[in-house]
Amino acid sequence: MSPHPSGYFTPLPRVLAADDFDTGMNGWLDLRPNFVAPGFREHSDEIDLIHWGPTMLSSATFAFGGTHGSAQGTYSLKISSRAHAAPADEPPAAGSMGLAIKRLAVPPGARRLRIEALIAYKAEQDRPGLGVNDLRAFGFFVDLQDGEHRYMPGVRYVNAIDGEPVRRWQFYSPTEASDEEWSYGRDGWHKAGIDPQWFGERHADGSTAATTWFDDGHQHLIYNESDDKLNWTPISLTIDLGSRRYERFSAGNRTLTFPDGAHPTWAPAYAEIEGLLNPVFFVESGTDRRVSLFVDSVVISAETEENA
Amino acid sequence: MKTFASSVIELRQPFENEVVTHPFECGWADEAVFFVDLHDPAEGTSLDLRVQLSADGIRWLDEGTRITTSGSAFARVTHFGGFLRLAGSATDTHGVTTPVTVSVRLALKG
Repeated sequence: MSPHPSGYFTPLPRVLAADDFDTGMNGWLDLRPNFVAPGFREHSDEIDLIHWGPTMLSSATFAFGGTHGSAQGTYSLKISSRAHAAPADEPPAAGSMGLAIKRLAVPPGARRLRIEALIAYKAEQDRPGLGVNDLRAFGFFVDLQDGEHRYMPGVRYVNAIDGEPVRRWQFYSPTEASDEEWSYGRDGWHKAGIDPQWFGERHADGSTAATTWFDDGHQHLIYNESDDKLNWTPISLTIDLGSRRYERFSAGNRTLTFPDGAHPTWAPAYAEIEGLLNPVFFVESGTDRRVSLFVDSVVISAETEENA
Repeated sequence: MKTFASSVIELRQPFENEVVTHPFECGWADEAVFFVDLHDPAEGTSLDLRVQLSADGIRWLDEGTRITTSGSAFARVTHFGGFLRLAGSATDTHGVTTPVTVSVRLALKG
């Protein structure tokens, strides 16, 4: 629990987690596949899922600015990619993303869920100039499953494609792809719509088989004017768990508008995960350069039947 | 109670020539242990890695600790500032640089 109350957060009545990374990783770790195949191999290999960049506690220390620290204190969670990327219309290359997950479960009677965080994003300051357009995208979503469906509501900020600014938000929406199409031609274990951060056809403009652009989603977030300057920016996503639909999303000083009834793909339920509540943050490189998403305090809150 | 975190920094990662692990921030930790595993090496393969530290995660200096192994090994490190990585290469029986697949885990406590 953060020792520093922050006016950036407006949680729902039941705070499930308030993670300030000055006290450790708080249960966030690298998102990796299931190592259940013979020899502890990953269970599927449609794309390379085992070489994403690692997640670490960061003081946001740079060569010229020194230690930036976090929004509240010294440490934040740094999610990093490796220095590698595939073209925007191809499946993600090995190591081109970094992803951090926390694994929770839905509390009894939960009707609404809110994920709030302070974030900043940077290209590695390994060369002169400004690296903002080497970072393709970042985003976050929640892996949820109830008695009928597994679904992953979330948003993605497409920052730049091929070095050109895009600066536009999209949200995960229903896909019409078959399971085989979803998994890049392999009729495997994955259901269409699940893990939209790396599955589903990608297009040259940054759209995918399961994303929809917000009509009012153009937004110039604060990258700042140098690769070593961070501005902690609030983001907040609210989900209606009863209808499995989006309720509200805000980033910085803007609230974006979901179309009426917007929702992610409602996939069939998987075995052994009913009731899971797994928030995931991720970052994607667009070039041969490491990029990072810094996440400071994350607040996960719910409204239940008794406090609605 | 101290904080502990172990990261699988490289998992079955193939390296063609130079072996360099991902820059890892760990200024919070007082002590670190690198665990290195060489996967399915050809007979006679030797992996030689140097512990490196950095003020900024970009420019690296040898810390002095080395790992030389044909299988699995570890190295303890303390007083390392804010960033750690391993750098080096593998050689075959003729001393020629050879591709290897490596896993590296970094256990941090502080």
